[in-house]
Amino acid sequence: MYKVILIDDEPLARQLLRSLLEPYQQVEVVAECGDGFEGFKAIQELNPDLIFLDIQMPRLNGFEMLELLDTPPSVIFTTAFDEYALKAFEAHAIDYLLKPIIKSRFDKAMQKWLQQASTKEHPQVSALLENNVYEGYQHRIVVKDNSLIRIIPAQDIYYIEANDDYIKIFTKDGSYLKKSTLSHIEQTLDPQQFVRVHRSYLVPVTQLKSIEPYEKESHIALLHCGAKVTVSKSGMAKLKTLLGW
Amino acid sequence: MLIVLAKHVFILYNVLHFDWNLALKDAICSCVILSFSSWGIILLIRAYPTSAVITVYGLVMALVISGITVGAEFEALKWVIGIDNESYKTWLKGTLVVRFLFIWIFNSWVATISALRKNISNLDSRFQQQTDASILLKEAELFKLRQQLQPHFLYNSLNSINALINIAPDRAQEMIGKLSDFLRSSVKRESEETLPITEELVYIQSYLAIESVRFGDRLQVHFEKEYTDDAVIPPFLLQPILENAIKFGLYGRTGAVNITMHILLDGPLLTITVVNPYDPNTQPPRGTGFGLEGVKRRLYLLYARTDLLETSSDNENFTTILKIPQHHVQGNTDRR
Repeated sequence: MYKVILIDDEPLARQLLRSLLEPYQQVEVVAECGDGFEGFKAIQELNPDLIFLDIQMPRLNGFEMLELLDTPPSVIFTTAFDEYALKAFEAHAIDYLLKPIIKSRFDKAMQKWLQQASTKEHPQVSALLENNVYEGYQHRIVVKDNSLIRIIPAQDIYYIEANDDYIKIFTKDGSYLKKSTLSHIEQTLDPQQFVRVHRSYLVPVTQLKSIEPYEKESHIALLHCGAKVTVSKSGMAKLKTLLGW
Repeated sequence: MLIVLAKHVFILYNVLHFDWNLALKDAICSCVILSFSSWGIILLIRAYPTSAVITVYGLVMALVISGITVGAEFEALKWVIGIDNESYKTWLKGTLVVRFLFIWIFNSWVATISALRKNISNLDSRFQQQTDASILLKEAELFKLRQQLQPHFLYNSLNSINALINIAPDRAQEMIGKLSDFLRSSVKRESEETLPITEELVYIQSYLAIESVRFGDRLQVHFEKEYTDDAVIPPFLLQPILENAIKFGLYGRTGAVNITMHILLDGPLLTITVVNPYDPNTQPPRGTGFGLEGVKRRLYLLYARTDLLETSSDNENFTTILKIPQHHVQGNTDRR
């Protein structure tokens, strides 16, 4: 018996999925969730084999929810209209259903998934998330803080540091770890606001207080929060073009 | 040209003491020839294809033509007056340099003025082209933004109907009817730049009718109206704001959700305040919703102002304030 969770902010959309799943005896809907928060909790508790996931939801969207999961289950996205995301799905062979969801299309997706489930060869949704799946830039970063989910607005970020497979986000309320790479976060944030000043540092321009020469070819930036970060030669060049020095 | 003529007569008659007849003949002859040469310069400058180094071109032409002119003047005067007047002929030869200088200065002046004039009209047309291009761009972007407002709502509504077909066919039918009403009025309003607020509210009601099929009795919207019928609003601004309020207001709550929309016409400004309940712990403090960025951009394109949409929140409510200037000259088209 496969466990399935439906995540969509509209009750009628979940009801539709439930009725479309009725003929599938080998599948059981173990939870219905109305947003990313509930979805995240349910996935951790119930460890489903498959989730149907809407992208645009209030509070926490579909992608943000997936980013928080260490081992995301296989996903069939359901969406009304996200051209940009659809391209990413196709590039990673991830299945999606366009709303309004029609039975024949739904059955095709289920057949495909069931076949993959029997051979255990699902496309990995984590690969999708390594690219920028968003159209335009994000104005926040979502992190796990023990069992809590915390949404950090971009303007609250002091700076971000690379830390092996993790990034460490420094804010006035302390620092948070997130499983991601600095290159990925750099892609999702507005390059007019965040500058990769060093291989290990991503800094908001507004946080810069002063920059002093350090060793040869490198500088030290003093931030408004009091921290000091190294600025590499190429980082300095980026700052110069951005700030028009 | 008449002034030049009078001056010419004055110099010859009063200063050099020629007789009336001779002075007048000389003056008329010179002036007619000078007129032709100036006219020639103006034509040459008009025919010049670009505006690059046009002043230099004009001045060189003035020099060349002045040379030709003075020759022509000499021949003409010799023929008109000098045939039987040897002393005049000698005098005429002596004044050639002065005549040339006078013609040259006059023609240079004509050349400079017409070159400048041509430059200015070139600049004018280039400026006009640029304004036209930017108006077109602006209209294209506005159109695109309007288009973007629709798809999510439309496809989600169709999906709701899809669900209702099996579980409640009556409600599915009702929703199809309401969705059609909504689309009909959308199409009709596509080309309007502003509409009476009363008309916009009819549209909003048909939108709310669809949302209430989707969310049942839980959704309650109260209107507080303080405006006169001449208040106007650009189309497609209110709906995304309300959609945002509904999404965030209904979410994560059981029981009824009250959204209030207060519309106030206060002098030159129509102020619309939408208040919806929300849960502050789960939203970024300054986050704007799905559609609000688009509304902001449209307001900027329409009014070149960034202060017309404000959002604020306390522990229970999220407030969106939209301001619409009432006596705005729409677009650049009217300003021309």
